[in-house]
Amino acid sequence: MEIPRGHQHPITQMITEINGIFAEIGFVFASGPEAEKEKYNFDLLNVPKEHPSRDMQDTFWFKPQDVTEPMVLRTHTSPVQARYMESHEPPIRIIVPGKVFRNEATDATHEAQFYQVEGLYIDKDVHLGYLKGTLEYFFSKFFSGKTEVRFRPSFFPFVEPGVEVDMRLLEGNSKLVGKWIEVMGAGMVHPNVLRGCNIDPEVYSGFAFGMGIDRLGVMKYGVEDVRDFYTGDLRFVNQF
Amino acid sequence: MKVIHSWLKEYVGAALPDAAQVEALLTFHAFEVEGVEQVAGEEVIDIKVLPDRASDCLSHRGIARELGSILNAPLAVDPLATTITLKETKQVSVTIEDTIACPRFTAIVMTGVTVKESPDWLKRRLLALGQRPINTIVDATNYVMFALGQPMHVYDADKFPQVDGTWQFGVRLATEGETVSLLAEGGKSEDRIVTLTGTELLITEKSSNTPVGLAGIKGGRFAELTADTKNIIIEAACFNPTVIRKTARRYNILTDASKRFENGPSWELPLYAQQMIVDLILDISGGTFAGLLDVYHEKQEVVTTTVTVANVRRLLGIPFTAEAVQLLLERIGAVVTTVEDGVFTVEAPFERTDLIGEENYIDEIGRLHGLTEAPSMLPPPVPLVEINAQQYYSDRVRAALIEQGFSEVITSSFQKKGDLQLQNALASDKSFLRDSLRKNIIAVLDANFTHTDLLGITEVRVFELGTVFNKIERGIGEQMMLTLGVRTKGNGYSQKDDTIVQGCLRSVESILGAGLSWKIEKGVAELNFTARLASLPAPTAYAPWVKQPALQYQSVSSYPAISRDVALFVSNNEDVATVATVLATTAGSLLVRQTLFDTYTKDGRTSYAFRLVFQAIDRTLTDIEINKIMEEVYVSVKGRGWEVR
Repeated sequence: MEIPRGHQHPITQMITEINGIFAEIGFVFASGPEAEKEKYNFDLLNVPKEHPSRDMQDTFWFKPQDVTEPMVLRTHTSPVQARYMESHEPPIRIIVPGKVFRNEATDATHEAQFYQVEGLYIDKDVHLGYLKGTLEYFFSKFFSGKTEVRFRPSFFPFVEPGVEVDMRLLEGNSKLVGKWIEVMGAGMVHPNVLRGCNIDPEVYSGFAFGMGIDRLGVMKYGVEDVRDFYTGDLRFVNQF
Repeated sequence: MKVIHSWLKEYVGAALPDAAQVEALLTFHAFEVEGVEQVAGEEVIDIKVLPDRASDCLSHRGIARELGSILNAPLAVDPLATTITLKETKQVSVTIEDTIACPRFTAIVMTGVTVKESPDWLKRRLLALGQRPINTIVDATNYVMFALGQPMHVYDADKFPQVDGTWQFGVRLATEGETVSLLAEGGKSEDRIVTLTGTELLITEKSSNTPVGLAGIKGGRFAELTADTKNIIIEAACFNPTVIRKTARRYNILTDASKRFENGPSWELPLYAQQMIVDLILDISGGTFAGLLDVYHEKQEVVTTTVTVANVRRLLGIPFTAEAVQLLLERIGAVVTTVEDGVFTVEAPFERTDLIGEENYIDEIGRLHGLTEAPSMLPPPVPLVEINAQQYYSDRVRAALIEQGFSEVITSSFQKKGDLQLQNALASDKSFLRDSLRKNIIAVLDANFTHTDLLGITEVRVFELGTVFNKIERGIGEQMMLTLGVRTKGNGYSQKDDTIVQGCLRSVESILGAGLSWKIEKGVAELNFTARLASLPAPTAYAPWVKQPALQYQSVSSYPAISRDVALFVSNNEDVATVATVLATTAGSLLVRQTLFDTYTKDGRTSYAFRLVFQAIDRTLTDIEINKIMEEVYVSVKGRGWEVR
């Protein structure tokens, strides 16, 4: 009997698709380590030590005896922002898909390990309208139908203003059409983050966003339990 | 933070709309609202106050002020605009050893109060916030905390020793090994004795140098209020947020007080809190106000910030006029002075300790105006300047393996045992990080073999591209591994698996180059992909990306599947698709998979052998049930003149 074709995991399919969509508007696929220095995961992202904003993400720490400076399993893909800004001059356009970790109890909507994609655009005169336009462009392609987004005020230490982003699909056959759905956090890169990476906030500005790829999969494919992505069960994978 | 609609209305006044509209206003201009519910006859709005606003908005006054700003309506009643009429007394003193840790300490004395049950309106408000009413005095301190965000602590003055006619407080850092006894925590019957390290801040009874509580976190039994208490001292102080946070985390004591102090509420609050509590106690508990102690060493700095209209426009993308910017800033209670055309100096209202930079004001302007108002713009087109080699080669390897029947999995980075253990793992079976994908791939092969019929495969082929970790001399090493495995038999590894794996590596080598250092064992091959990447040519373009057709995932049944094989002889001019359709139609909705596994032709006829797999989403199927379906299948095919072998 002939061996049937295998199946690509939906997370990496989505990463390929996300990269394809963003590459068309000049966003470079950047990557960084999953075992990350505290400096990049928190300090350079304007999350000071002993600050309540650290509580927003439950963190896995490496043992002090195993490391020469404090290290964590990255809680978000944002540290790659700081790494990229340190080593590149603006203008900068990157996306950072990758695995992240949160030290929290798991359920159908939370996993201790999941995938995120970060976006960063730094140039002269970048404003919130570019964030809106870029996300509308992305979602319209990703969900195959005209999509609008709206912003609600929120707080993430590395952006100001910080926003929660809701999207609404305006056309197509998807069950998502017509409903506002909360999809991600975003905002204008905080001047402290720019300064920390030697970029002058008086000259440059930029937006950053971060969204869960698992969450995109829940929306796109109707997956009901995010833990299913990581079981290795081919009854799941082979549907994609 | 839970807030009561009627309480907000007391401060905001008639301009405040109903709870549903308050929810909408907050959602689009300030905070996420988690819900609105009726509790104890009050409408309670549950607001998610994030760390940027926890300094002023863990209070009804803070939320009311926010709504006033959004509605562009001055507060009808503003407890932070009250005139302070409290007279000073020498009956209380405080010695603050560390004025950075405790910049301000205030206390009031009241005599002749009657401790009793609180009036209904007060009890109702506390109940609505999930608090248990206790008595007038305790309830008053809680009420003021929920009103203004200033925590307070009460002492029975008659149980507090007076020295030379004064009650003497001290505020100092603990000494190492010193202990303090703290009131029993919720649900526990015994007080907690904490042994200190020397970094904690204590409130003490100065003459005996006895600790009476962990400053800003929790008090003890010292001079505890009882039903018989007549004379009281109420403390309201300010503490360094970091000191409070460190201590609260160290001992895992998170209280309403510590939650507020760790976020740095204004040092101007204590007197307003004292004025409010004196007025309230006089009203509900009687007695006489005897005097105020106010020691304020480190005054709260007045922060002024330069805000330029050009920067507001540049970041928000909205063409604000200078006048519009000024009006929006004045709505939050800021004092705005024009320096030159389009440039302001802005002084924050004292309770907004979060407003320290221009970006904070730009945020305020944006959210009051509406953050979605900016026009949608796409960045101007530019060529893609860099191709990510890891992504490029990963996708090529994936495509090659999928072609050979391998499915991709993503497995856990955590494992039960290993060399590299995390400091704070979730569960004991997940406290180490993987240093190879091999174990996970073997587990995946084992687990999936049970489902081969259901999956329509005869052997399991899987791969993963994933990160592994290991200890290295100067920290943590990290590599991406490519690991693939084959399983041809249900009872575990057989040598044939290795042979198949070996054969499949060639397609990978056609991409990554020959001579790769694979580690092949038990049907699993593993390669350090990261190490190999370094020696590959830099890619110049991604493979054209194809949009996948839309699909909806179907939940997997947790009930077992039943397989039946059927082989048929049909005439050579019969199409296999027709045969498959006839079988599927007759087998009905319980048929979840149909696999053609054998075909041969003899004497002008063709034999097709199919495996039919049945499964229900909601129950275990019985043989009797499936036998009945198979009988129907046989009848149907015979009716077409096909022979069942």
